[in-house]
Amino acid sequence: SPPRYSKVKHLLKDLDQLMEAVLERIVAPEQPLSNATRTLNFTLWNHTPLVLIDERNPHHPVVLDLFADNHNVSASGSPAPGRACNAQQCKVAMRLCCRNGTVCTFRKFISATQAVTEWYTLQATNIFSQVPTQELVKMGYSGEQLILACLFGAEPCSYSGARVHLGQVIHPPLRFVHLWSLGLPAAASAPPPTGLKLILDLGQEDYVPFLTSTAGARLLLHEQRSYPFVKEEGIYAMSGTETSIGVLVDKLERKGKPYSQCTVNGSDVPIRNLYSDYNTTLYYQCEACIRSCFQDHMIQNCSCGHYLYPLPRGQKFCNNQEFPDWVYCYSQLRQSLGQRETCIRMCKESCNDTQYKMTISMADWPSEASEDWIFHVLSQERDQSTNITLSRKGIVKLNIYFQEFNYRTIEESAANNIVWLLSNLGGQFGFWMGGSVLCLIEFAEIVIDFLWITVIRLVAFCKSLRQRRAQARYAGPPPTVAELVEAHTNFAFQPDTANPGAYPDEQTLPIPGTPPPNYDSLRLQPLDVIESDSEGDAI
Amino acid sequence: MAPGEKIKAKIKKNLPVRGPQAPTIKELMRWYCLKTNTHGCRRIVVSRGRLRRLLWILPSLPSFFLLFIICSLIFYTFFCVLGLSRQQLHLFLPSTDSRRIRGQGYSAVKPLLADLEQETRAALKTLYGFSEIESRKRREAEPGSSAWEGPQPKFLHLIPLMVFNEGETSKATDFLTGQKRKVSGSIIHKAADVMHVQESKEVVGFQLCSNGTSQCAVYTFSSGVNAIQEWYKLHYMNIMAQVPLEKKINMSYSAEELLVTCFFDGVSCDARNFTLFHHPMYGNCYTFNDKENEIHSTSMGGSEYGLQVILYINEEEYNPFLVSSTGAKVIVHRQDEYPFIEDVGTEIETAMATSIGMHLTESFKLGEPYSQCTEDGSDVPIENIYNAAYSLQICLHSCFQTKMVERCGCAQYSQPLPPAANYCNYQQHPNWMYCYYELHQAFVQEKLGCQSVCREACSFKEWTLTTSLAQWPSVVSEKWLLRVLTWDQGQQIKKKLNKTDLAKLLIFYKDLNQRSIMESPANSVEMLLSNFGGQLGLWMSCSIVCIIEIIEVFFIDSLSIIARQQWQRAKKWWSQRQALACPEAPSSLQGQDNPVLDIDDDLPTFTSALRLPPAPEAQVPGTPPPRYNTLRLERAFSNQLTDTQVPAES
Repeated sequence: SPPRYSKVKHLLKDLDQLMEAVLERIVAPEQPLSNATRTLNFTLWNHTPLVLIDERNPHHPVVLDLFADNHNVSASGSPAPGRACNAQQCKVAMRLCCRNGTVCTFRKFISATQAVTEWYTLQATNIFSQVPTQELVKMGYSGEQLILACLFGAEPCSYSGARVHLGQVIHPPLRFVHLWSLGLPAAASAPPPTGLKLILDLGQEDYVPFLTSTAGARLLLHEQRSYPFVKEEGIYAMSGTETSIGVLVDKLERKGKPYSQCTVNGSDVPIRNLYSDYNTTLYYQCEACIRSCFQDHMIQNCSCGHYLYPLPRGQKFCNNQEFPDWVYCYSQLRQSLGQRETCIRMCKESCNDTQYKMTISMADWPSEASEDWIFHVLSQERDQSTNITLSRKGIVKLNIYFQEFNYRTIEESAANNIVWLLSNLGGQFGFWMGGSVLCLIEFAEIVIDFLWITVIRLVAFCKSLRQRRAQARYAGPPPTVAELVEAHTNFAFQPDTANPGAYPDEQTLPIPGTPPPNYDSLRLQPLDVIESDSEGDAI
Repeated sequence: MAPGEKIKAKIKKNLPVRGPQAPTIKELMRWYCLKTNTHGCRRIVVSRGRLRRLLWILPSLPSFFLLFIICSLIFYTFFCVLGLSRQQLHLFLPSTDSRRIRGQGYSAVKPLLADLEQETRAALKTLYGFSEIESRKRREAEPGSSAWEGPQPKFLHLIPLMVFNEGETSKATDFLTGQKRKVSGSIIHKAADVMHVQESKEVVGFQLCSNGTSQCAVYTFSSGVNAIQEWYKLHYMNIMAQVPLEKKINMSYSAEELLVTCFFDGVSCDARNFTLFHHPMYGNCYTFNDKENEIHSTSMGGSEYGLQVILYINEEEYNPFLVSSTGAKVIVHRQDEYPFIEDVGTEIETAMATSIGMHLTESFKLGEPYSQCTEDGSDVPIENIYNAAYSLQICLHSCFQTKMVERCGCAQYSQPLPPAANYCNYQQHPNWMYCYYELHQAFVQEKLGCQSVCREACSFKEWTLTTSLAQWPSVVSEKWLLRVLTWDQGQQIKKKLNKTDLAKLLIFYKDLNQRSIMESPANSVEMLLSNFGGQLGLWMSCSIVCIIEIIEVFFIDSLSIIARQQWQRAKKWWSQRQALACPEAPSSLQGQDNPVLDIDDDLPTFTSALRLPPAPEAQVPGTPPPRYNTLRLERAFSNQLTDTQVPAES
């Protein structure tokens, strides 16, 4: 729920008046500026004014200041700026300037509603950022004020009940988030509780009118130690209804490193988790990481932190006084896709995720018959008055229950593991080749042998080559010993020429002995036995 | 001696060449082939005869290659992960149809429907006895709205509305003439029987007759509301079928009127981002992120990064008989999918903020051998008349429309036109209503065969939506918001906006996780083979070669041996008979003095199997060789084999 308007009114007084005047000027530009307008505090306005861009002539769009009386935009020169200009021809834009108004851009909006809302949010951010957090906490609802009745299972629960831990996290203050960490029943002991029943006081009349236009409670189911991003992921509960929310829990577990880029506790992500102050020290959230990353970029580029995100130590929130360029800088950063891509790339997904599937159903509450007594009792409890101080628009009843008391785990599993791989390979190898690991070893051995033989033969070949070369140096047969000896003393020495014809018998005759028996016939008989043994096709 | 030599000697000693004594490559290969455990190689080397060797090479080499292919396949699939897949980058916001539940812009269509409306109102009056519907402003301006006496009612003539008494269904009161008349033909109840508790309850229905024959069918409804709506719808289709499309589009609301504000991912968007899509019954629908338009994508989850629109819904422009609820309808669908707005969709209430969080689930089914799903519908024998990707629903509708054109000669109005067909209307096809109802009945009862022909698609995306509502605008912000929104709308509507004319819609991805559900076959071919091989290897230490071997030995060889023996026996018997016939002839040259020559005792070699004359080497010496049995035991197997093989080969 947003901050209570009655408490923050004094802060937003100037801004609201300005807003009223702006709306007046946009909707009815014909009317002259009233006196009340002249007394407005224009410091906020001058920082980031809203302008009208007249596009009736598409080549020369004319920029018109909304309060043309105060600030003559000489370029336009038309006497009645906004006259006869409707939404199709004039677009509302925000003028964003930096460096003392020298560099300006216009952020154009197609609808005035959006322009006005954006503008107001920016200005409110500026105002709230100058208020200390503790004060802002007081301006919002406390848990006791918000919860009118609470029942967990059959037991009543209070703001800090024993079984249901109701905690309050108040940051970022603009949202004044109240949230409940609903304890998952660890084990279904005893009769299972039927769920959490709450009656909430929404206090719709106390909303800041320009800040939020939607009335209702926003709620979010989340892991106990994680930070709730209520605005992004929460669901609405409508006032005046009994909203039943059936919850189914899915836990997702991903396989880590080799299969996907997920992180278990965020320690391997290069971005410091700024949300770690809010009980989320161990729990990694991708959303928190992306937002921390944005805040880091914001501090780098604009040298101040944005108000919606937590602040790193030693830094300051952006405001108009100290950082006059921050709006320009922020909107540039917000629009840049590159920044977002970088953050998404740097932030890994988390390996364990919990998803809540919700079945939402609604019925009118309280019924007409019971309306009277319920309002009486609740008013008595809240305001100690006998009159009815509550209305149907201001309260909501919530039933949150688990549809099942167990949760589903979806786990990633590797399609193949090493055992599977080996058995598959073994099967294939055996099937097609009748081989096994021994075969592989054998094969490797053969390869080694092959190389070894090649090496030996190469060596032999080289040796023979060298020998042949050495022989080639002396033509003819090598000199005998006698020749060498005689060469010194007896010059007329003639060596014996080799004469193979001299002893033809001695040369060719083999060594005497009996020739081996030529057992040619042997071959046939044992062949039969051996072959049948080895080939196996003889019967 | 040099240390190098020493080491060399050592290596030689410790790491001897493992081949047989002769260290040549050929010898090594031979040794390997004989000694290895992979049977194929050994078979190749051991077998005698070229043909036999070739026959062994034939299975061995392909199985070797197959082994490589399958192993690489196994390796390839090794690093796949089953289960969740998650994409963190751009998810497109799927097409979103936001449209009003309404027919055409009512005031524009009014001249066309004036007659019909008059008659409807008159019928209500006679049936239920109330004179005037709680009329709104615009109706008062209309002159002679209750001028029943004016023109001759043509619609009630065509299809009379009737009141039936529950007990006697054959008698009906035609409320136009007030006469009771006999109704022939089959009566089809469109109501559940349980509905009627009271005895004398009157039911309302209408009769459809075909002009050519005298067949009639009466449709009754449990409630008059349904009867009148159904009756009105029939006539409405008739009238609208004759109006050209351009005109119908102009009658409906434009995107500028429908959209008050639009915001996507923090950036303004406007009517140009929406694509028009004309639905016959619902009028103009607008699609965000249509395939024709520039596609917007977001890289973040959460409501502020989604689509935020404020819709203008003018309740007064609703056709009171066609549509009785107020609001808009939203469908999230794929870019190439046809939105079936009448069947699915989320209703948007006025004066509320509706927040829709989405989760994307993608499902893939396995195709042909595993299930009967189709990838793109090209193998379904029904032509897709929608300009969209195939889905089961599209197929069913197309099938019905095609059958309608076949049987009735014209096409039904709420579905697209098949080529060369017209929409049904009274003028050209006076019988179409009867035909349509009959056909529809048959379709529902699965008599048309559409349900059996159409198959589901193999892949589809599903969005799980979490819808929640909140009051909008809040009490305090209502005043200023409506003022500014009125200014925003400016010229389109010249009136002050009311809270109930507006609806706020937020559509966003809850997170950018995508869940994929994929079917994978429990057994693939390579898995099957490897399982088979594993079992064979484990229990029999057997391989494919083993199987071939078994086939060879037990089927081919043994059969041929038996055949040969039989042949021998027959020959013997024949020769004995011959011998008996002429006893002086020598019985046989073979087998008496030289039994070894008998080819039949030898191995079934190629030559013997083909009964060729024995090779010259097979000439046997006169004396039987000594049976050196002991030789075989002492000698090494390989040595002996190599000895014996070499001559055998040559």
